[in-house]
Amino acid sequence: MATQVQARRQRPFPWAEALKHAAIVLVCLALLFPLFLMVMMSVKDKEQIVYEFFAIRPPFHLENYTIAFGYIAPLISNSVVLAVGSTLLTVSVTALAGYAFGRLEFPLKNLLFGILFAKMMLPGIMNLIPSFTLAWKLGILDTPLPVILFCAGTSQPFWVFVMRTFVAQQPRELFESMRIDGASEFQNFRYLAVPLLRPMIALMSINVFVFVWNDYIWPLVTIQSFEKRPLTVGLAYLTQANPGDYGMLTAGYVIAALPLLVLFFISMRQFIEGLTAGSIKL
Amino acid sequence: MAAPRVAARRRRRPLDQLLLGLAFVAPALLLNLVFDWYPMFDGVYRSFYRWDGYSTAVWVGLGNFERLLNDSVFRTALWNMVFFLAAAIVLMFPTLVASVILFRIRHQRTQFVYRVLFCIPMVVPWLVITLMWQFMYNPQYGLFNRLIEALGMPDLTQTWLGDPELVKWCLVFMGFPFVTTNAALIYLGGLKSVSESVWEAAALDGAGPVQKFLYLELPLIAGQFKLNLIGTITAAMTGYGTQLILTKGGPGFASMVPGLYMYFSAFKSQKYGYAASIGLTLFLMSLVITLLSMRFFKDTEEA
Repeated sequence: MATQVQARRQRPFPWAEALKHAAIVLVCLALLFPLFLMVMMSVKDKEQIVYEFFAIRPPFHLENYTIAFGYIAPLISNSVVLAVGSTLLTVSVTALAGYAFGRLEFPLKNLLFGILFAKMMLPGIMNLIPSFTLAWKLGILDTPLPVILFCAGTSQPFWVFVMRTFVAQQPRELFESMRIDGASEFQNFRYLAVPLLRPMIALMSINVFVFVWNDYIWPLVTIQSFEKRPLTVGLAYLTQANPGDYGMLTAGYVIAALPLLVLFFISMRQFIEGLTAGSIKL
Repeated sequence: MAAPRVAARRRRRPLDQLLLGLAFVAPALLLNLVFDWYPMFDGVYRSFYRWDGYSTAVWVGLGNFERLLNDSVFRTALWNMVFFLAAAIVLMFPTLVASVILFRIRHQRTQFVYRVLFCIPMVVPWLVITLMWQFMYNPQYGLFNRLIEALGMPDLTQTWLGDPELVKWCLVFMGFPFVTTNAALIYLGGLKSVSESVWEAAALDGAGPVQKFLYLELPLIAGQFKLNLIGTITAAMTGYGTQLILTKGGPGFASMVPGLYMYFSAFKSQKYGYAASIGLTLFLMSLVITLLSMRFFKDTEEA
């Protein structure tokens, strides 16, 4: 008994485990360093950035945030319109199609699914210029429509694929037992399938939202008027237009990053688990 | 119990079934056909025309591709692409190693905290991080030159993105510490799906950490690696967002890549047909490289 206690006390410090932690902490610090620098600079004025670059001391210039917010507030609402619109359209068409491909039996099903699936496997680089001319011909340039429609058209094959797999994995009895007698297939979908698919729909919504929120090139090309532009395009423009005014600019970057960070911390567990789970099925 | 259900299913006529199925999949399919498939074919078609976007398009046959072969800017862009592609593939390995180390951390709560920290760069707009790097490379105010000055070696300051010799290395270094969130989560997902008994068996065998990595974890996530490899290849060959924001392909054409050249040909020089032919070339190249690498992996798996 006594020797056992002795042995436990003498157990060597777990070097191997500590090394792993050290390595990962270093990686995290390096990953987050640009963000740390961003927050640090956002409370400095021009002189402080030039003369006390490495110091963090008062006076803290919080007015950087009010100035930046004045520029950025309208851009945020533009980005919200684009991201919410794209998410709603993409998620609703994807849920419908994913459900049908995973659950229903109908002729030509495999062919139709193949059409979506094949495009998913092809590189999208060719699409930019013809997509632009298509949006032009449709007369929808300089509106939120190109972002919303092309997002729904191009990003959903992947999600139809994921959704179909998810639907097909659910036990058949779950859907069959809940079938409302006399209800149409669409009512069954709306009142039975959608609640069952909720975790997948949440995951998809977050992903599409983040994608559109962070997208840069496509809105840059299709939305010309400055006052209609989303956050990313506006930030790049502000950076070019205010060279050297790094306090205000970094404050703007912080404001731009906040909405998604908040969304992320609210839905963290689903976000990470979902991303990890979605990739298992290869 | 099963029999009447099957019977009820059978009673629906094929045409009704088709209409019902179409009602569900038509919105997705239509959006995909109009906004994804159609532009692709339109791009193929336009690459045989000369078109400035306003006047009537002129059929030039393979003329655009002939010009492309003799275009020195395009050739520079291709070599730069090869450089970025090689760098991107080599720099996949830090993510692989970091994911395995993270997975091996026993304390589950800390592991979750680390995973959350890994995710943050993905949530912050990519553009914001790129603009922060632009600042760090700024010769006048930027972090790197300030650090070099603070260390008392003002002769060693660089113009970074303005230096044709350095610019490509600077763009590659922006990935530091070369751990990409998406790829890491995919590896972690793969490792998590391995059954517990496999790890226990390895522990009993007394395999060392490096052996365990080479003979156990690496083969187990070969599928995930392949998936990430395809993504990395496509991104490295066709991506140009960073160059568009930071260097515009410069100085000169030192950081020009084919994707950016396509973008400029269309939106700066109004050569839509020529841009479409660059797009088609790039599309075919990345498709071939992706298929070849898949083939290579299939062979190594069978061997």
